[in-house]
Amino acid sequence: MLKKIGETRKSFDEDLSKANDLASLEELRIKYLGRKGLVSQLFDSLQDVPKEEKRNVGQVLNELKLHTQSKFDELKNKFDKEKVSSESYIDLTLPGRKREVGSKHILIQTLDEIKEIFKGWGFSVYEGPELESDYYNFGALNFPADHPARDMQDTFFVSEDFLLRTHTSPVQIRLMEQKKPPIRALMPGKVFRNEAISAKSYCLFHQVEGLVVDTDITFAELKGTLVAFVKQFYGKDVPYRFRASFFPFTEPSAEMDVWWQPKGKEGRWLEILGCGMVDPNVLTNVGIDPEKYVGYAFGMGIERTAMRKYGIDDIRILFDNDKRFLTQF
Amino acid sequence: MKISLNWLNDYIDLKDISVEEIVDKLTYAGLEVEEVFDQAKQFEKIVVGFVKEAKKHPNADKLSVCTVSDGTQDYNVVCGAPNVATGQKVAFAKVGAVIPNGGMKLEKAKIRGEVSFGMICSERELGISDNHEGIIVLNPGLKEGTPISDALEMNDVILEVAITPNRADALSHIGVARDLSALFDRDIKFPKVEFNESKKKSEELAAVEIIDAINCPRYVGKVVSNVEIKESPDWLKKRLKSIGLRPINNVVDVTNFVLYEVGQPLHAFDLDNLNGKKIVVRQAGSDKKFTTLDSKERELDQKDLMICDGAKPVAVAGVMGGENSEVTSSTKNILIESAFFNPSSIRKTAKHLGLSTDASYRFERGTDPGITKWAARRASQLIQETAGGEIALGEIDAYPNPIDKKKASLRFSRINKILGYDISAKEVKRILIRLGFEIMTDDKQKTIQEKLLPRFDIGYKGKDFIDVVIPSSRHDIEREIDLIEEVARVYGYNKIPEINKMGVTLEQKVDHSAFDGNVRDLLNSLGFYEIITNSFLSESIAEKFGKPINVLNPQSSELSHLRPSLLPGMLTTISNNLKVNEHDLKLFEIGKVFEKITEKNISSFNDFRESERLLVCLTGNDLRTDWFAQDRAFDAYDLKGLAESVLNKLICNSTLNVSYPTTDDSHLEMVFNLSIGNQILGFGGKVKKEACMLFDVDQEVFVFEADLATLKQIAIPERTFHELLKYPKVYRDFAFVLDVPIDSLSIIEVIKSVSSNLLHNIKLFDIFQSESLGKGKKSLAFQLEYYHENRTLTEEEVDKEFRNAIKAVEQKFNGKLRGS
Repeated sequence: MLKKIGETRKSFDEDLSKANDLASLEELRIKYLGRKGLVSQLFDSLQDVPKEEKRNVGQVLNELKLHTQSKFDELKNKFDKEKVSSESYIDLTLPGRKREVGSKHILIQTLDEIKEIFKGWGFSVYEGPELESDYYNFGALNFPADHPARDMQDTFFVSEDFLLRTHTSPVQIRLMEQKKPPIRALMPGKVFRNEAISAKSYCLFHQVEGLVVDTDITFAELKGTLVAFVKQFYGKDVPYRFRASFFPFTEPSAEMDVWWQPKGKEGRWLEILGCGMVDPNVLTNVGIDPEKYVGYAFGMGIERTAMRKYGIDDIRILFDNDKRFLTQF
Repeated sequence: MKISLNWLNDYIDLKDISVEEIVDKLTYAGLEVEEVFDQAKQFEKIVVGFVKEAKKHPNADKLSVCTVSDGTQDYNVVCGAPNVATGQKVAFAKVGAVIPNGGMKLEKAKIRGEVSFGMICSERELGISDNHEGIIVLNPGLKEGTPISDALEMNDVILEVAITPNRADALSHIGVARDLSALFDRDIKFPKVEFNESKKKSEELAAVEIIDAINCPRYVGKVVSNVEIKESPDWLKKRLKSIGLRPINNVVDVTNFVLYEVGQPLHAFDLDNLNGKKIVVRQAGSDKKFTTLDSKERELDQKDLMICDGAKPVAVAGVMGGENSEVTSSTKNILIESAFFNPSSIRKTAKHLGLSTDASYRFERGTDPGITKWAARRASQLIQETAGGEIALGEIDAYPNPIDKKKASLRFSRINKILGYDISAKEVKRILIRLGFEIMTDDKQKTIQEKLLPRFDIGYKGKDFIDVVIPSSRHDIEREIDLIEEVARVYGYNKIPEINKMGVTLEQKVDHSAFDGNVRDLLNSLGFYEIITNSFLSESIAEKFGKPINVLNPQSSELSHLRPSLLPGMLTTISNNLKVNEHDLKLFEIGKVFEKITEKNISSFNDFRESERLLVCLTGNDLRTDWFAQDRAFDAYDLKGLAESVLNKLICNSTLNVSYPTTDDSHLEMVFNLSIGNQILGFGGKVKKEACMLFDVDQEVFVFEADLATLKQIAIPERTFHELLKYPKVYRDFAFVLDVPIDSLSIIEVIKSVSSNLLHNIKLFDIFQSESLGKGKKSLAFQLEYYHENRTLTEEEVDKEFRNAIKAVEQKFNGKLRGS
């Protein structure tokens, strides 16, 4: 009997070492540990053992049972774990399910950036019509009729008295007709110029206009404000300069340049905006006393600003709306 | 306008000032220098060389080997010119020089076995003439090593100055010199005009009659007789060439010279071709056609100001002379015209003739009525110098209503008020006097002028203002603010300080663009890219999308009309993207559209409608085959759901109604409207194939459009909190087999009509169509949501509601409840 137990243990160990998956392990369980398995059969034959040996043989048989059961459990446990992990395996290197996130047009983003800066300084934001009357676009802004100053802005006309605004300055007039000083306003919008479409010019572009009117406004404040803007927008060390210029609706008038240093190219002064003190005639036209109130105004083109900032050298790409362009910003 | 620094130096001495400083000062003062052309630069490393020895090349008959000295060193140079000889002074281009004609860079070279360190140049190689017969042999007195630019007097610097339209006075060398005189505080030197006049008076030789004195306030005529028309002398040709003008003959060249010297356009008539030796200034009237001296026949407007003789027009005043009276090689006697014309009259004429000349450019900006006589005399002097002849005594000066010089006052306190900075009274006066203003003294009869310059700090003690007389050349100046600008720009904007704080008014701030910003953010978060398209369309496209407004002077016929809709721009964008294989697009545009609402011309804001619109577009696929997905194209439900989500968010979840218009839309099919109450907020649908094909778009396009002003009004800024539900919701599901044409909305409406307010939501959660249901049948499954805000519902009351709903659908639509 003891010999038989020893053989069973040996053959179990051999079979166990051959079991390589849950199925073969199950076969092993049935063969040894099943209700009619070899271990049970051994227990059944224990009754035939002489009484004086029974105690000893019983002990050895129990050891066999413990041994087979624990070895089996050990392996079963191992196979179970392997099964679970292979079934719930996640390949994190697979690409995720992406969602497209849209974006504002790059010109609007640039405009927003400028608006944010001025809103922080207490500016309100106003808008106005694009199809304007001659009066708002020129007359009220002190452009004399039949004067070459009008040639500065090639104009699209839709009738004798109506035109596509050539600048956002008419919004100044509309605002001052509605609101009396103090005024601190920013006026963005689309403007139109009758210029041939090329890499450098387009028949329309975006502008942002600033207007401040109060009793104690000076050219020094205009300069200070624009310098602060330029430092914030272009970087605090950007070189800048103010040059005298001419706009019918401001006097004195100036243009502001910043130094532009494209990579690998020669640096140069680049005009970024026109500005000046609101001409007394303009204030008179909207019923504001120019002796009491002084104002300043400025206007800048968004396209050129954005093109410089993002290194774009052909304005037309801004209006092509090629998805490969749109998704870059 | 081109300004020659050498020429400028005739009027103001700037020789000790660098070009950079002149350029900077002019630019800061408003005469922006856009380009600087330094003649000498092209002659770098080309100097006067001395040929110490020229001998035959040992290996080539036609070549010489020379020893050339630049004053410090001797060079071996091989030369092919036949005229090179020992002892000559030559133009010697050293190694490293770039030959002006052709741009070749010189390097050390071996020519037939002889090393050559440079080149001896011909005129053609230097780019100064076409002569290439031999090398230039220079004046033997020149010192070797002198830059060739100095030796040839090719050392001018030409400035391209942008003159703003207000500064007509600066459209000449003396005009620019005026500003420089103030900027560098130096005297200006007017050329001396002195000559001998004959005994015959100008009036005896010719006559001038002004009929339209409004448009021709002054006309000065001066006669020069017995001139000889020929080529101009070198100095004159050189001046004109330096600013890019082509010399013609001595008389014409003199008139051009005076124009660019002082800014007064002149015209020289062949006096013998003037009928009656007479000038009449009048409007064209019945004269309809006129041939200008460029041999073109021009159509006249009856109001065009014409210069006529006793019988016929001989020039378009201030614009261009006529062929019939121009100076030719046989001309003997000439009449010089030096006039002042009304700027707006000249502008109108030049505009309608489409003819802009040097003369009209200046007249329409305003010339100096005070300089006409001087200019006529200056021209006479120069014509006599270059063409001989006798200058008639005096001038004919038709000046019926002499123009008074304007006056203005300037308060010193106002300078500070405007600029935020004090400029001393002395500096203010210095600047103004240098610019040609006269300052009135207490004795109103006297003024301080430039001649009295050292005294400009006298006289005004205690006074806080000055009265000034404005130069007749300055049409742009008449008010105090104009004077402040003059002072500020000459003083220098960069000297005005920059304040570093500002006073902000505490009041309600507004942002008109904020709502558009919200819409943009919302659409971005849903994956849409913003586009900006051209506001102009072709007529044929524009007319298909509304009642467009046409531009009178379009850029091209492709861009002749304002867009009445954003749809064409969107379809163009899609088309462009398809060409580059970008098929899947989620795009939107926010922009103005324009529609005409009158048949007449637009003469008021009521004649057209300008509105700001939003167009959202879906086209292509939502999903492309991937490891987790199959291809799925966008469809009408994507669009509808999207439009509802966007509007729901914008109007703060107020109840949105969807309706399906039965009227035909011209460009959309499968149209739906979204509205609140009776107010339609927007509409969407699929773009019809015909519209897509106009733009070569051959895939389905879904768009939603809304009026932003309407949305803005509806979007309620005040939001209120809704108490969260404290009691459980009860759900009941059912599915019905129905005829296919029965739509889901009518079923939902019937269910609503038989339900109480306990029913809060009906969700269609399954649609199923199969032969197994029977032919022409479909199954719709709904989930009904019940709750009460203040209590828990009982099973009985929900069951009762639910049974009513089932019964209604069964009866109304002959529906068969599934699973029953």
